[in-house]
Amino acid sequence: MITRLLAAASLVLAAVTLSASAAGAVGETVGSCIFEELEQASFAGIDGEGFDAVKNLKTAYKNEEGDAEDLKKDFEGELEDCVEAPTAILPELTEIVWGGAAFVVLLALMSWKLFPTVKNLMEQRTQRIQDAIDDADRQRSEATEVKARYEAELADAKTEAARIVDEAREQAAAVRADLQARAEADIADMRERASADVEASKRQAVADLQSEVSDIALGAAEAVLGRSLQDPEVQRQLVDDYIARVGSGRD
Amino acid sequence: MAGRSAGYADAVAAVARAEGNLDTVSDELFRVARALEGSDELRMALSDRQIPAARRQQIVEDLLGGRACDTTTAIVSMIVAAGRSSDLAGIAREAVEINARDRGRSVAEVRTAVALTEEQSGRLSAALSAAAGHQVEVKLIVDPGVMGGVVATIGDEVIDGSVRHRLSQLRDAF
Repeated sequence: MITRLLAAASLVLAAVTLSASAAGAVGETVGSCIFEELEQASFAGIDGEGFDAVKNLKTAYKNEEGDAEDLKKDFEGELEDCVEAPTAILPELTEIVWGGAAFVVLLALMSWKLFPTVKNLMEQRTQRIQDAIDDADRQRSEATEVKARYEAELADAKTEAARIVDEAREQAAAVRADLQARAEADIADMRERASADVEASKRQAVADLQSEVSDIALGAAEAVLGRSLQDPEVQRQLVDDYIARVGSGRD
Repeated sequence: MAGRSAGYADAVAAVARAEGNLDTVSDELFRVARALEGSDELRMALSDRQIPAARRQQIVEDLLGGRACDTTTAIVSMIVAAGRSSDLAGIAREAVEINARDRGRSVAEVRTAVALTEEQSGRLSAALSAAAGHQVEVKLIVDPGVMGGVVATIGDEVIDGSVRHRLSQLRDAF
């Protein structure tokens, strides 16, 4: 609280100091200061005092007499001093009093209304920030838990995927081996059948050839026999041979 | 079929015995059967049921009239009228067997490519009787399919000395 009061006092003092002006210095206005300077004016080498001296300086300046120009510049500098504050550090007492009173009133008003409000606002803001921090912490904790759970599930999924891949690979290997075995068996069977077919074809060809040869031979024999059998003597001889064979018990 | 042929043969034998000419009837029946066997046209005409029975009997009488005894003609006519002409060969064979049995013999069905002389037939009958161990009665059939030589069938036994059989053996040997 003391720190806050000191800060407020410093702020008010700086405001009063920086806002000091010629109008507020020594309790007179700029106009009365200028009027007083005109009334008391006197210049070296210029006749008269007060307003007359100012008129005579003006005339000498127009006539460009002597050091009229320098005197005029000096007098203008004196008039300009009326516009400036007497000091930049220490204002007039009345200004300090009014400023201090205003400060006290302002401080009282601020202590009565503004500071509690600001304090409440600050506390609310602090509470909101704290709530936000707590909420963020909670969310971060939840996110951490979710992340851990997801990572665990991901690890399980990876393990399961690896198991499935291994299983699929094993099955594929088994299927490939089975197919290869079947293909080899089929090839062996086909070779065996082809060999059997070739052998059968060869046998059939030999049989056909033998049959054809025998047909030719038998045809020739029949042709020869046919001519011979037309001979009655041959027929008689065949019958006699049969009778002899049957009679001898050879048949 | 065999039972039916045997039944007809028994009836035929009974009629022929009653007439006292079983030997002749059985022989003539055998010859008629051989004639039918050798003629597809005659066999088809006698077995065609579209032809009236009277017409078929007339054909039989025209063929056998004067060539066979009346008993044989009547028996064949009856068999043909009954629509059993396809069984005639079996009936004739059974009748011949019955006749042979009546005389204590068996029948030898002998097929040759050419007709045998009486002398050859006598020697053949003697040779077959010796082979069978009892008297056989030879029934000769001229069958050009035999080509040459003789095929004798005595009951279930076949003594094949035909050129056709030898050619068949030769063909099998190849």
